[in-house]
Order: sequence, then C-alpha cells, then structure tokens
Amino acid sequence: MDNNEKKLSEYIDKLNAEKKPKEHDNPMDSPELEELMDTVRKVRSLREPALPDADYPKKLARAAGGQLRQKSATGERKWAWLAGTAAIAAVAVLVLMLNFVLYPGRTDIVYAMEQAYKEVGAYHGILSIVETNLKGEETLQAMREVWSDNEGRYFVKELEGFQKGVVTVNNGDKKWQVCPNEKKVYVFSAFPDPYRFTLELGNEINDVKDAAKIKPVGEDTVAGRRASVFEILPKGGEAYRIWIDKETKLPLQRQRAMTNAIQYRITYTSIEFSDNIPGEILAYDLPEGFEEIDNNPELLVNNIEEAGKIAGFTPKVPENVPDGYAKDSIAVAKGMKATKLSYVSENKKSRVIILQEKATDEFKPASTAVLGKVGNNTAEIQSPVQQSLGVLDGGILYSGMADICSIRWQESGFEYAVIGDAPMDELVLFIESIEKGPVEIPSGEETTEKPQIKIPVDLGVEENEQKSVDAGHSPWKLDPVYVAQVFVSLKISPEGIEGDYPVNYEDMKVIKNNGIDAIVEISGNATPVRRVYLKKLIRQDSTGIWTVIGYDPVA
Amino acid sequence: MLKEETFKKAQDGDLKSIEEICSSTWEAVYRFIYYKVQNRQEAEDMTQETYAKALSHFKDNSVKIEQYTGFLKTVALNILRDKWRKKKRRGVSVDIETIKPEETAVEDAAETSAQRELIRKALDSLNKEQRMVIELRILKGYSVKETARMMKKKESTIRVLQYRALQTLASILKSDD
Repeated sequence: MDNNEKKLSEYIDKLNAEKKPKEHDNPMDSPELEELMDTVRKVRSLREPALPDADYPKKLARAAGGQLRQKSATGERKWAWLAGTAAIAAVAVLVLMLNFVLYPGRTDIVYAMEQAYKEVGAYHGILSIVETNLKGEETLQAMREVWSDNEGRYFVKELEGFQKGVVTVNNGDKKWQVCPNEKKVYVFSAFPDPYRFTLELGNEINDVKDAAKIKPVGEDTVAGRRASVFEILPKGGEAYRIWIDKETKLPLQRQRAMTNAIQYRITYTSIEFSDNIPGEILAYDLPEGFEEIDNNPELLVNNIEEAGKIAGFTPKVPENVPDGYAKDSIAVAKGMKATKLSYVSENKKSRVIILQEKATDEFKPASTAVLGKVGNNTAEIQSPVQQSLGVLDGGILYSGMADICSIRWQESGFEYAVIGDAPMDELVLFIESIEKGPVEIPSGEETTEKPQIKIPVDLGVEENEQKSVDAGHSPWKLDPVYVAQVFVSLKISPEGIEGDYPVNYEDMKVIKNNGIDAIVEISGNATPVRRVYLKKLIRQDSTGIWTVIGYDPVA
Repeated sequence: MLKEETFKKAQDGDLKSIEEICSSTWEAVYRFIYYKVQNRQEAEDMTQETYAKALSHFKDNSVKIEQYTGFLKTVALNILRDKWRKKKRRGVSVDIETIKPEETAVEDAAETSAQRELIRKALDSLNKEQRMVIELRILKGYSVKETARMMKKKESTIRVLQYRALQTLASILKSDD
C-alpha cells in the first residue's frame, strides 16, 4: 500500500510539472492504481489546460509538414527533423550552386544568405567585439562563444570583457543567465525573447533583407576567409558594413557607423556548422552553491546595440564618463522596455545608473520631489528617492533606500533618470554627459512668490506635529500635495471631511518645490483656492513636514 | 475562415498553408488531447502526431472544411485509444477511414460537460480534509511538502489522505458510470 501511495503521489507531481508520466507508456501491474491515476486525470480536467509557448503553432506546422513530406510517423518528439541534415555538406553543395548566381545586388545577396541559412541546423562560433575610437585606436571589448540553432535556441558565454564568465541560454523552454560573480542564476521566460545576440545569423540576414539599400563596396579577408563587403542602409538609422563569407554566403563581420565617437566591429573569428546544439549545452543545471532567482526584472547584455535591439530604441550613452567612474554593466529592465547603464566609482563605493525608456505618459513628478530643470524640461529631483514613478518604477525598489538620489525628466518622447548613491553634483555630471541643456537644481533659497492671503502659523504646534510624524503618525504631512488637498478640502467643508475629498489629488499639481518652499496649484471649478503655499518650517530635509503658510483664492 | 485553396496547397506540402491551418485549428485539438492526458509535454507531442497523420491522410482523400476540427479531434482520439491499447499490449491500429467527424465533435462537447458536472459532485461528497488535499495537490498543483505545510500535517499523512480521497472519488465516479 505504501508503495502505491508513493507512486500515485509521484504521478500527480509529474502531471503538475506538465511532464508525461512513465505510466502513460508502460502497463501497470495494479488495476487499482491505474483506476486512481485515471481519477487524478479526471479531477485535473477541471483545471484550465497548460498551453504551449506562443511559437508552438509554427513549430507544429513545420514538424507536421515535414512528416507529411517524409510520410513517416513515429511516436517520438519530432522537432529535430529539420536539423537532421548534414548541415556542412548541404551548405557546401548549396554554395557551389549559388556561386553561379551570386553577383552584387540586393536580391541575390539576400537570396544567397537566406538559402545558405536555411540549410544550417545550428552553428557554433567565437565572436570578437572590437571598439574603435575617433583616433582609430582599437580595443577588444569582448570575446564570446555562441551556439545558435534555427529554432531560436542559443547559448552565449562571455569569454573576455567586463562580463567575463556570464552565460546566457534559451533552450526553448526557459531562458536563464548564470552570473558567476554573484553566484546567482537568473531565470526568465523563454518567450518573448526579442533578441538573441549581436551578429546572430538569422537576425542579421533579416536586417539586410529589410534594408532600404544594399551596395557592394569591395572584397576583404576576415579571419583568414575571403569576404564580399556590402554597405547596408537600414530603413531609419545609420548605414553599416557587412562582410559576407564568399564560401558559406553567411555574415562574417559587421561594422557599425561611428556613433558617440565609438565604432564597434563584430567578427566571427571562427564558425562551424552542425545539425544541432549538443543537448548538454542547453540543459538547465543550477551550479552548486548558486542561488536561482526567478522573475528577474533585468537582463544583462553585452553592448549598447543589444540593449537597443531589445528595448526598441538606441539609448543615449555618456559622451564622456565623469572622472572617477567606469562602466560596470549594461542591462535591459522593466519588461525589456528600459535600458540601464551602470557606472561604478573607482573605489567601488558609489554607483550611478542611467535609465532610459520611451515615454508612455505625460511627465508627472512625484508629489514629494523637488522640481528642477534639465534643459527646458521639468526635472523631478528626489534626495532620497521616496516615490518610484515612470522609468524608476521597474520592479526594483529604489525608494526608501537611504542615500539613493535621483533626477528624472522627459525629453523628445523619452524618459530618463539618473540615479545613484553618489552626491547630487555627480549625478548632474552624468546628465550633462547625455544632455546638451543646462541642469538646474534649486538651491533652496527663499521663494520670491508670496501668497495673497497669509495663514498664521504656530511653531509650537508644528514642532509637535513634526514629532508625531517622526514617530510614524500622519505620514501624509511629508507630501505637499496631500497637505494642500486637506487644506483646500477643509476650506470647502470646514465642518470636516466625510468620504472622498471634495478636490481630487489628480487635480493638484506641484508647480514649485525647492525642498523648503512649495506651491501647489489646483485646477477645476470645485475649488475656492487656486494656489496653496507651503513651507518646511521645522526641518528642511526629506523628513520635514509641510505646513500651509498661505493661499491664492480663485480669481 | 480557412479557404478551400489553403487545404489544397497544404496537401501539396505548402508550409505557409499548413501553418495557416495549424494556427487556426491547433488550440481546439490541443485542448481536446490535453483534457485526456493532462500534461503539456504529451499533449504537444500528440497534437503534432495528430496533424502529421491527418495531413498525410488528407493528401489522398477529401474532407469538408467545416468538419476539419472534428476530423482532427477524431484522429487524436483514435491515436489516444491506440496508445492505451498498445500499452495494454493489445495493439490495434487507427482505422482512419471509419471516422465520422461530426459525431465526434458533438459527443465530445456533451460528454465533457457531463463529466465535469459528475466530478464536481463527487468532490462535494468528500469530507473536508479529503477535499482540501485534492484541491491543493491536483487542482492547485502544490507539492506534497507545500500541502503538508498548509494543512499542518506530515507529508506521509498527505499521501495517505490523497490516496484515500482518490479511492472514494473513483468509487463514486464508477457508480455513476
């Protein structure tokens, strides 16, 4: 009986893991157990079924179509049939044929690459990424080992560079990133996975296919292989050059145009083709002593180009990294929509992050933030960060952490934030490295704007209020908008507020906040007050309460 | 809506047409299979086998378009039955010629709905502890360890409880057959 209880329990576990139990293939010697397993399936049928990944219908069509052609149906998993050809031989044969038809021109080079790539089940290569500056000085930025197949699975291992040792894998079921320095394995869903890695052959060919213009510019030798060089003008974006291997008709090297005084050249220093990626390369295995982190909101990438491809825009990069800081990492965060460039100080004590994303909403600063300017745009300045809005709201808790400051603003359809545990003037240096306009941080000087009607203040009462807030009561007094809302609401209903406030929080806008004085403007017709003037009377930091010192009535 | 031309092209092995057919019909077929096997891995494989068999058969015969999903489900059902039979070492191959898709489709919907009602009723007749263990382990998919923690019981007790609960359910469902 004990044994049957265990078997039944393992059967349930297997179904819960969405795997085929061995009992479905092998006959059971216990009719009772078989009946109970049948009952498990019946009960489980009340659940909504687990559906396959989004690309399943495509895989299904390819596999079923292949079987239709082959007219052989075995009971095994058949995804691999496409890769079942001897890829190297096929590429070679195809190339021989294509050599007769390939001459410079859009259709032919795209066609040749597409046909050659069709025959590739998988490939294994070593990529080098070289950075060239304006003086023509070259530095090897990274070396990476890559495996990729035509079903979207891949393996990338950073061999050299600032992310040395990091391994990123997508095996079709899950995607993970092994970070040896942190002893952590970050797990992501396998889909959607918009971008694999720089110079991934499939993506590269698609980019050329979609280009506005393709121009042959000559021949060259790359990594000992003869290559035709083409200049590609994408629809939107800068022209770049691509080297196509004359023998395999597949991309061998790409060089981007010089941007921000830096040019990248990515080269396959070696590449070989095979039927598929070896199983052990794609097997998920948590190394001993490593912690698995699920639902990681960030994905580390190797370079700006990868970050841009994933996020869907080219992020701004500091023209000159402020003295004393060095690049630490590049990541994509917030549902892969925001880029995150991290810099660390030489003594490793301070870290500054530049976050960027496409602006989706009108810029609304945090109600507790000091307001400044970046260029002509309003900037939200928080020291420390108290509310994580906009690009700061990315699943990572910046707010509530001591000594973390941020400056956030929008410019030409993008939202930016520079955030870090560094002094405010160092954050400003980072902003100046990506923005042309001046950065204005309020100095906290007395405001020149005076209320039409002054409200008398009892400092003794305010001191007691401050103590009460320090003890954890009425935290809303730290938010000038809430304080103004309560003030205006009591003007409307002097006898007290019941239910909802008569003026909405959304109708109130901070038009000035230098950290000591604030002015809140109220829109709409429901209010007798147009502007509320507030001041931090007791303590002038983020823990100081706001007090109403006057107001302007509706004219 | 799938066009007759798409089916014709699919018969000739045109990948785009096969993709079109698969993308508009796969979910009903997959759900039908999943309902029987209750795991994603097997359901994906069997859906694939179903399409391979159906398309292969389709190449030599003609089936009305509107009956296609019903036809696919019937192929799937026959593959399922065949598998169970083979498991019991009494292998019988699928006789695809005898399929009446319109019957399968109707039977399937009515049968499923009635079956679910019976299962729900059977679950209601379990005692509180038994029902809870079934809900946590099978309907919500918790592990024995998690279930034990939630029910404040030993893991071995959970295994005994779930075994007995399933025995009770099996006997209720059997008496309803």
